[in-house]
Amino acid sequence: MIPTTPRGFRDCLPTEAAWRQAVDRRVRDSFAAWGYLPIETPTLERLEVLELAGALSDTPFRFFDSDNNLLALRPDCTLPAARLTALRLRGKEAPFRLCYSQRVFREQGSLYGEDREFTQMGIEFIGGTGAMADAEVICMLFDALSAAGVRDFTVALGTVKVLNALVAGAGGDELWQAAVRDAFHSSDFVAVDGLSTAEGIRPVYGRAIKELNRIRGGLEAIERCRELVEPLGCDDGLDQLEAVFKLVSSTEEAGTLLVDFSVISSFDYYTGIVFKAYAPGLGQSLGSGGRYDTTLEAFGRKEPAAGFALGLERVMQALEAQGAQPPSVRPDAVVTPLEGETPEQTFARAAQLRREGKRVVIGGER
Amino acid sequence: MAENLRIAVPKGSLFADAVELLTKAGLDTTGLADPGRKLIISNPGVDFIIVRPTDAPVFCAYGGADCGMCGKDTLVEADLNVMEMVDLKFGGCRFIVAEPEDAAGRAEQVYERTGSLRVATKYPAITQRFFAAQGKQVDVIKMHGNIELAPITGMADYIVDITATGRTLRENKLRIVDEVLESTARFIASPASARTDERVRALAAKLEELAAQQNEVKVTAGGEGK
Repeated sequence: MIPTTPRGFRDCLPTEAAWRQAVDRRVRDSFAAWGYLPIETPTLERLEVLELAGALSDTPFRFFDSDNNLLALRPDCTLPAARLTALRLRGKEAPFRLCYSQRVFREQGSLYGEDREFTQMGIEFIGGTGAMADAEVICMLFDALSAAGVRDFTVALGTVKVLNALVAGAGGDELWQAAVRDAFHSSDFVAVDGLSTAEGIRPVYGRAIKELNRIRGGLEAIERCRELVEPLGCDDGLDQLEAVFKLVSSTEEAGTLLVDFSVISSFDYYTGIVFKAYAPGLGQSLGSGGRYDTTLEAFGRKEPAAGFALGLERVMQALEAQGAQPPSVRPDAVVTPLEGETPEQTFARAAQLRREGKRVVIGGER
Repeated sequence: MAENLRIAVPKGSLFADAVELLTKAGLDTTGLADPGRKLIISNPGVDFIIVRPTDAPVFCAYGGADCGMCGKDTLVEADLNVMEMVDLKFGGCRFIVAEPEDAAGRAEQVYERTGSLRVATKYPAITQRFFAAQGKQVDVIKMHGNIELAPITGMADYIVDITATGRTLRENKLRIVDEVLESTARFIASPASARTDERVRALAAKLEELAAQQNEVKVTAGGEGK
């Protein structure tokens, strides 16, 4: 038998492992620079606890332990962070600025070519609200990508509030509303267009829903959106979006920030801003985040929250694509025993070099 | 943008209409109509990657192409993360449920008794989705061709298949019992390219304009003939 790893789980050899560690360290340092503190959560969670916040959208690995508890390998870190806050930070006052870099696990059918285990590096800003809190989270995403070494990235930003208001006011029933949410979730804009002209839908709202996912650009895109939805009274969230856009743009130099309402995908989870980061050449996003003010309440503590997660593997792909080079794993010095030297002396010489900050390999056989 | 825009163009029955639409949209399609054995046609600013229709979503989801065209049925079957942007109004075909003419409701009886039905199809995802939406439990038997043999040989209660004129169904004494899906060709894009590359958006807008000018869907010229 050939000792392979399970499908979707891979070993990392030294060059890759060292590179991942270097990138991970730089990203974690960028989180620390904003005053975020690290947390760690268990690899396994009780499935019923994870599902307090609603049905899980990512398929977790599930199994029973020896006590017959139904457990899941954590499929993300935001739900565990919410659980940790509700459970262990009870009695402490918000805001909490937490960050993590952990492996997560998602089951998927074979032939999809995806890892079933990957590393998420992310933050949770719990208890903050308003434009400054939103902007903090987005700025941190920019800083994390820059720290990782990704040049040339784009962050697409929208808000679910506008779409929620339009969907609520359009006059469609529950089934129609669910169909609109599903269509956005699967990025099926043909279906969105079809639903916007369905029978019983108020035409003015339908047109706005149809137009909304075509609006993208800078501040002028927010203006166009305002013109579209203000007459319908659905402009809640746009003032804050504009303030956030201006604040992030004035603070961050690298990368591009764009308004794009098509990023909205899960609106039963997000309650405000939503954003996704992209690098050229990669088909899927590097990471995503947003505001989710109702999530923590499900775990027993009512707090607004916003955050994001970056996929380390995707970041590494972006770095490869732009031609970045991994750090060298070769030692700085090799100390071989000299003629007549005792092993103690050889070790002592190596120790001296290590004290000088060098990576030393003790070579040779005596 | 320094690199060429990469467009996945579907081989087979969608190819001619796809090329025509891309030409009308203003792209340089020199050499595309007659590619010979070539799989990539590179013109200034654009690369056309000639793919099997079922692979167009794969190219867009995994970054092999920025955008492309394929049938709605292909998208449902592939179930990949791509952005579906425009209904191109060509390649029209109907997905239907059919049973033998002389079965006369036998399938319904089987369902009453056993709570399950056997459905033979080339399109398992579409089939599963359709019956799930009706709350019906079905055993999907995936076949690759001549689906009409399944109910004829007693292997399945229903088939889910494409029809254009209905001739194949009639010839095999099958009767349509339900409509599943009207599929047309769609313009799709990789989520990243759609959000970072203006050319993809511009092409989508142009294609939408062109599709709107068409009054009715162009039905696909498949094996059914007219």
